[in-house]
Amino acid sequence: MNEERKKQLLCELDKICSILGPSGFEWRVRDYIRAEIEKNMPSGAELFTDKLGGLYLKIKNEGAPKLMLSAHMDEVGFMVTEITERGELKFGSVGGINPLVLCSKRVVSENGIKGVITSKPIHLQTKDERSERTEIRKMRISIGARSRQEAEKYVSVGDYFTFEHDFRVLSGGRIASKALDDRHGCLALLNAIRELAKSGKKSRYELYFAFTCREEIGVSGAWCASELVKPDYAIVIESKAVLDLPSVGEARAVGALGEGALISYADGGAIMDRELTDRLVSVCEKNKIKYQINRAISGGNDSSNIQRGAHGARVALISAPSRYIHSSTGIIDYKDFEAICDAIYSFITAKED
Amino acid sequence: MINLLKRLMLTHGVSGRENLIREAIRKEVEPYADEVTIDAMGNLIAHKKGSGKRVMFGAHMDEIGYFATHIRSNGLISVAPIGGINLISGAFTGVVSENGAVGVLGTVAKGAPDADEVFIDIGATDKRQAEKRVKVGDSFVHTPSITHLMGTRYVGRPFDDRVGCAILIEVLKNVKSTENDLYFVFTVQEEVGCRGARPVTYSVEPDIAIALDVTRTDDKGGDTLNVSIGKGPTIKIKDASVICSHELVLKMRELAREGKIKYQDEMLSRGGTDTSSMQIAKRGCRAGAISIPCGYIHTGIEMIDMKDVRGAVRLATLIAERI
Repeated sequence: MNEERKKQLLCELDKICSILGPSGFEWRVRDYIRAEIEKNMPSGAELFTDKLGGLYLKIKNEGAPKLMLSAHMDEVGFMVTEITERGELKFGSVGGINPLVLCSKRVVSENGIKGVITSKPIHLQTKDERSERTEIRKMRISIGARSRQEAEKYVSVGDYFTFEHDFRVLSGGRIASKALDDRHGCLALLNAIRELAKSGKKSRYELYFAFTCREEIGVSGAWCASELVKPDYAIVIESKAVLDLPSVGEARAVGALGEGALISYADGGAIMDRELTDRLVSVCEKNKIKYQINRAISGGNDSSNIQRGAHGARVALISAPSRYIHSSTGIIDYKDFEAICDAIYSFITAKED
Repeated sequence: MINLLKRLMLTHGVSGRENLIREAIRKEVEPYADEVTIDAMGNLIAHKKGSGKRVMFGAHMDEIGYFATHIRSNGLISVAPIGGINLISGAFTGVVSENGAVGVLGTVAKGAPDADEVFIDIGATDKRQAEKRVKVGDSFVHTPSITHLMGTRYVGRPFDDRVGCAILIEVLKNVKSTENDLYFVFTVQEEVGCRGARPVTYSVEPDIAIALDVTRTDDKGGDTLNVSIGKGPTIKIKDASVICSHELVLKMRELAREGKIKYQDEMLSRGGTDTSSMQIAKRGCRAGAISIPCGYIHTGIEMIDMKDVRGAVRLATLIAERI
């Protein structure tokens, strides 16, 4: 039974991660999610969007406190800024990307044009270049074109690129893919919506499932979500960069893969609401869901703007501990993802605290 | 007033953990306000109803401190600083948790320590013993204190910004008949980036918002232009986060002159206050600030002069009644 669920969720994770959706270009992810929700709507549910492109599912429960669960649809990527005389593409990053992870990576455009990010082979590097920090402005995307004219047949300035999709299930149930940040969160929400539809269970909250835009370029979609929904409570489902590597000390590691859903009392963007966070922890305890507490205050996400938007909201954050975030291959552990799915479903269907 | 200030200073309230200080302030304001509410982020809002201009005064309840992030096997507690802590002044001094666990901030660093080179030692011999007193997520502060020096000067912590809270409470008590619709808001999470002031201003929708906070001084190695302790409260013109409403600044000066209240002009090159968040929330409002000159800000020996505090109370009261 559990293996069946795992197989299905992994298959879906592959699919949702494969969709190209850098910040500002989320519509394909949105369309996919909308279609999936429409297949099986919970009773009393209503779909709507905001003007920035965020997608919402409201499950009506008048008079009840509003709980918003959110995940962002966008991923980091690139935008073409100039096509050179030689037919190569200059580009900028969309979202924060360490230039070191870019050399020789395969990328693909919104129109399916494949390319490779250039790098200088070690044979041709000077001694200094081997230790030099690489800069994005010195890199190019090569799509195989030999001239500007040829390149312009396939690509225009302003086109988006993302890392090429290459989903793998590693040994021990770990998952390697681009865009796990934050498509795993989107899928966790989808899964909760489906389980609600299936079980017919009522929540004691008025539920809003929010799929936000533009998280990676300054958490701006969260402002819209906050202003539109004005939630009393909000739980953000995210990826959290961890460093559970031997070279990093216990205290600085943030968290560890496979040790459960990562719950934060605070991160770089927000000090979470303690009461809500404690309740999330106690739901995990009661339902024997594996969780861990974040050990460092780092990173930021939609929780910051949801907390401070409109009249303010009580926020909590639950994350999949993630390695190599914002690169061509992040890694999360299926067990942590499943724990997040279970935690949010248990939280929204809990009768009492 | 000094007793009120003492009560507030000795109450715990790190950013995001303002429950104790909020409760203490709620008790102080309840007898004088028409309505007292608390919003989702934890801001405390005291309303004194009127039919005129909506004027909001704000001071932040939170103070800088630490969150426990990890308990090591040897019982030492790893912490993350909350707010701009001066770790040179913080190392090797006493700390206390929200639950009253007493400890010291230790470090193995030779010079100025980095945030991950400090730890809290509560005297536990191992992890299990430490966990009896402290949970990950608990907050700590440097031990609060207040000591009378010469004349009207006091030293201790955290004057930032319990002195602003005390001023607001005094103004609420002092205000006589006025048409103005007055709000006194005690905000959360100022020290981590003026986070609480935005939603509370969104809810109140004031015409005029004035923050009460401390400011750096030149006579104690600060970086304002000609602000000294003891020469009166300041009327803020700008800091790194905000340019105050010029119209409001002029009006505040006029009222200060009318009331014969000595004030100083404040132009601060760095640092910020809730004023910035108040100015741009929702449709925006005319925002300004009154500051108390304070020496050695964000250390255990913050220094103020009660003359400035009393001046601020008079100025803010005049504004509340007559603006």
